[in-house]
Formats: sequence, structure tokens, C-alpha cells
Amino acid sequence: MNMGVQESILPGVSLKKGSNIMIYGPTFAGKAMFTRTMFKKFVKAGYCGIYVLTRESAEQFIDWFGEEYDSNTVKIIDCVTKSMTGDAKDTEAIKRETVMNLTGISAKINKFLEEFWRKGNRNIILVFDSLSTLLMYLNLQTVFRFLHILTGRVKMTGAIAFYIVEEGMHDEKTIVTLKQLFNGMIEFKEENGKKFVRFVSPFTKTDWLEIHVDEGGVIIT
Amino acid sequence: MKVVTGIPVLDDLIDEIPNGKTLTYWINPEVEGDVFAMQTIYTNVEEGLKCAYTTITISPESILAEFEEFGWNVKDFENFEIVDLYSEYVGYPSKYKYSANPLKIDEVCGLLKNVLEEFDVIYIPISSIIDVCGDESISCIESIFKLVKEKGKVLITSFVSWPYPEKIKKIVGDLSNAIVKIGGIHHRVILGYYYGLVKVDWKNVKSKSILFKLVRPGGVRAYIPKILVTGPYNAGKSTFVHAVSNVALSVDRLGTTVALDHGHLEYKGFSIDLFGTPGQERFDPILRMLGKDALGVILVVDSTKPETFPRAKQMLESVTHFGLPYVVAANKQDLSNALSPEEIRKKMYLPEDVPIIPISASKGEGIFKVIDALLDILVGSWKEGENEFEIST
Repeated sequence: MNMGVQESILPGVSLKKGSNIMIYGPTFAGKAMFTRTMFKKFVKAGYCGIYVLTRESAEQFIDWFGEEYDSNTVKIIDCVTKSMTGDAKDTEAIKRETVMNLTGISAKINKFLEEFWRKGNRNIILVFDSLSTLLMYLNLQTVFRFLHILTGRVKMTGAIAFYIVEEGMHDEKTIVTLKQLFNGMIEFKEENGKKFVRFVSPFTKTDWLEIHVDEGGVIIT
Repeated sequence: MKVVTGIPVLDDLIDEIPNGKTLTYWINPEVEGDVFAMQTIYTNVEEGLKCAYTTITISPESILAEFEEFGWNVKDFENFEIVDLYSEYVGYPSKYKYSANPLKIDEVCGLLKNVLEEFDVIYIPISSIIDVCGDESISCIESIFKLVKEKGKVLITSFVSWPYPEKIKKIVGDLSNAIVKIGGIHHRVILGYYYGLVKVDWKNVKSKSILFKLVRPGGVRAYIPKILVTGPYNAGKSTFVHAVSNVALSVDRLGTTVALDHGHLEYKGFSIDLFGTPGQERFDPILRMLGKDALGVILVVDSTKPETFPRAKQMLESVTHFGLPYVVAANKQDLSNALSPEEIRKKMYLPEDVPIIPISASKGEGIFKVIDALLDILVGSWKEGENEFEIST
């Protein structure tokens, strides 16, 4: 079954506006591709999107997005290029920031939210790919403070936000601390060469669903 | 040496930053506030003072590029230096004369103290140091603040108000001789930005808030916010604009506004432009155009004419489409058949959290409560007399 549309993220799972969701699982389990595919579907369904990249450049993301990429509705915060070259220029739709400058990232997310809001767009999706990169450079307390403000803003604006976290890169305390900030989690696992996904929240836990991942996207079977 | 901030209006208020003093830019985490320190440093570099700019979460190259983007070519000046706490942190050797590994807080502290000896003005991003080096680095910051006083230098700092422990906020707040708060005007999202002097211990000044925009090149530019005053025909919009403004002017034909009312108001440290829109439907395109870059809306309704409420609601919807916050001024409350604010709320189906202020624009009653209610939504509790830091002299 193809992934759902609009606020529906998995069969039988819909999200309320203002939700902050953690995307959690081991490396190569399909988290990033799942999240991108979902992001693209939300955008196709009329959402405006903000994608925060910490592992690849804006240009690589746009290449993946393909011809459907529209700079009016998809804004990117590229936290890779500036760390490498220092002289990359911003555009209306692409803002560059170093991954450690949380104030810069926060201000840029807000500028995009303001832009969407002023144009009358109220359906907004935000993806942060990934928190694990932040945690490589900054301590948990600092990242927590940043997320405390960001998740609050997502609630206020009625956006829907997803934050990718790598399983196995952080200790249990880190994961437990981060979980406090989120309304639910999309969890991934790999078993016998097969990939699975499920949704977990304080009120719901779905069964594990098998997924197929390739460069083009994710299919839920 | 005379050290100034280089920020519009601020220098008129404080004249200069005397030797031995620290000025802190206290920044809302969602606002781009680093440019304030950059503008201060560049202004003083241009005046020939020896200035150092510390960076820890952004590469020195990116900082120099940002200076350049604002039109400030600091690298052309021999009296300017970067203090590089970034390169070693990310594993590169630094090519700058002043550098240290931020994971060794003693090394950082020693370096900053040396820099302080050599330069007239030094900038330190306090919160970034805390973010990278941990909360315990506040003791290093404390010792630097004290050294500034002892050596008669000028320290410029930035403190992004993430949810740090109160103890940290108090130390930075108490040790700063002047605090300029940089914040956002918010309604679901941040719609505008302001700065204001909330503490200064060397001069007796009145608090003032200034709205600003960032201009590239140019830096911080003060600007006057636009508030829309809208409402149905004959609701009393022009009377309201004239009553509340220091100066106002209307374009009328046979007593009815056919273009715009424009009023200017200096109130509680804010400089506000009020634009009254014509109430007739044929002018609705103007309404939508004005809504695009306004910061808030005052809807004036005639409390004695409920039959005009659907039109009022229609006008409100066309401007609040842009996400603007609004308050309702229930006018003509001096007339005997006026509906109460609660009756108006019911008839207009307005949410409970929308302020409806009873006024009589012709008698000037309640009109400033309308402005207060809107400012309260726009800038929250930060109003004169309710500052996070008291102005002290």
C-alpha cells in the first residue's frame, strides 16, 4: 500500500496539527527515504515544507526531489555547505547555516514560517534530518533547549514536524530525554534482511509493517 | 576612546559605552540577533579602535563573509582580529593568531583574558560558549566580566535566551552594565522584530522599543510598524485614528473617508503608524493590499448597529487571512442602545481570546486600551514598567 496522504502517515495513523514526531531506527533502515517520501507527498497534497539538512547539501536534495521541486513551497536550510566552504550564498528558498549555530537555524526556520504564514499558508510540514548530527557537535542539554523552543513553535503554528534520530548512536538517557519533547515516534527495524516500520505514541501502537525502500521512495506492503 | 553601539536610536539614548562597561545583546532564540554585535564591532573598527570578534559555532570564514554581506569589510582593517574558537573544535588547524580549543575551557578563558589586555573592544558570544563548553563555563564568563571593569576595556556580548537555568540568566543579567533586548513580535509565527534598551547603569534613560529590519548591505534599520484600523462604513474609524494619534490626516469626500486615514502615534516607547481603511466595499482591494505588510489590526465596530457586524466580519477575514493579530474596538459605547462587548462577541462569533474593548472614540474614552491590548498581543508582557530587567541608574 502506498503511504497515506496529508496528515495520514501510516495506514490507520493520522497526525494532528502541531505534532512533533521522532523518526527512530538503525542506520540504513529506510528512515531518511521514508521521511523524504512522506515530505514529498505532503507537499504534493498542498502543504508548504521546510527541510533542514545536516547530511547533504540543498542541491543534492533538490536533485532527489526532481522536477516537482518548487522553491515557493519547499524551503531548505542547508547545514552542510557552509561548514565546508564558508562562502556559499543564500537564495530566497535556500538558507545555509553551520550545524552548530542553533540560533541561526532557529531564526531561519522562523523566517520561512513567517513567509508561509503571511502568504496565507497554514499547512506546513517541517523535517529535521537529523538530530543525531547536532548531537555529534553539541551536548544533549544544548540540543534539548533548542528543541524545546522549536517544538513549541511547531505547536503554536499548527505545523507537523519530523525529527530523525539514529538508533545506536546515542545512549539511553539521550533518547529518553528527547522522547519527552515528541508526541509520538515512527520506529524502524531490520530483521532477516527485511525492513519494518510502526507508529508508537502514548495512546497508539501499530503493528510492524513491512516496507520496501529504493532511491525513488518507500512502499508499505 | 569613545565606544558606541552603531545601532540606530540606541546611541542617541546612551551616548557611548564607557570604559570598563559591558553591553549585552539579549536575543530571543528565534531572532537573527548576531548582526547587532557585528554592527557594533564594525562601527568601532571604522573609528580606529582595536576590536576583536570571537566566534565558536560559526567558522571565521563564514563570519567574515557575513560581515561582507552587510557591507562591512572588516578584514581590510589592521585593527580588527578574529578570535577563533571554531576551527580546533571541528578538527581543523586555525590560521588565526588568536585561537583555542573550546573543549578546554581554561585555555579559552586564558585566551580571552589575553585578548582583553590587547584590544579596546572585544565581542564574546556568551550563550554559544555555554552551549559548547557547558553550563560550568559561566564561571569563566564571570571572571571576564570582572576583568573588563578592572582593565577599563569595553565588552560586547550576546546572550541568546534559550531555556537556561535561572542562575545563569541572573549572572549574565546582573553583570551586564547595559542590556539591549532583541525580540520578536509574534502571533503564531514571528511577524516582526524589535530591540529595546532594558538596562543601563551609567545614564538615566527611559526605555524605548524600536522595530527593525535587517538590510543587506546596511545592517540594522529601525522602521515604523503599520497598524490597520478597519471596520464598516460610519463605524468611527477616522474618529478613532484622529483621537489616538499625535498627528493625523484623512482624505475625505462629503465627510466620508475615500482613501486613507493616516495617523502617527508615539506611545510607550513605540513609534506606530495607523492606517484607517475606507469602509465601503468598493475599496476592499486596498484593504487586502494594506494587510500584506501590516503588523496588526484594530477592527472598529458601531456597537449600536449589529446589522453592520457581518460586513465587519467580512473585512476582518480579508485582512486576517495574512495571519495578523487583531483586537475589536466596540465604539459608541456612550450611546444608550450600545451592545456590551460580550453581546458583540456572541453576535460576531468571536473567539473568547479576542479582546473587545469598549470605547467612545468621539469622547476619547478607552481608546488607548485598544492600543494596549494590541501591543500586549504583539510583544507579550514586555511593556514599559514590566521589563525583565528594571532600568537602573
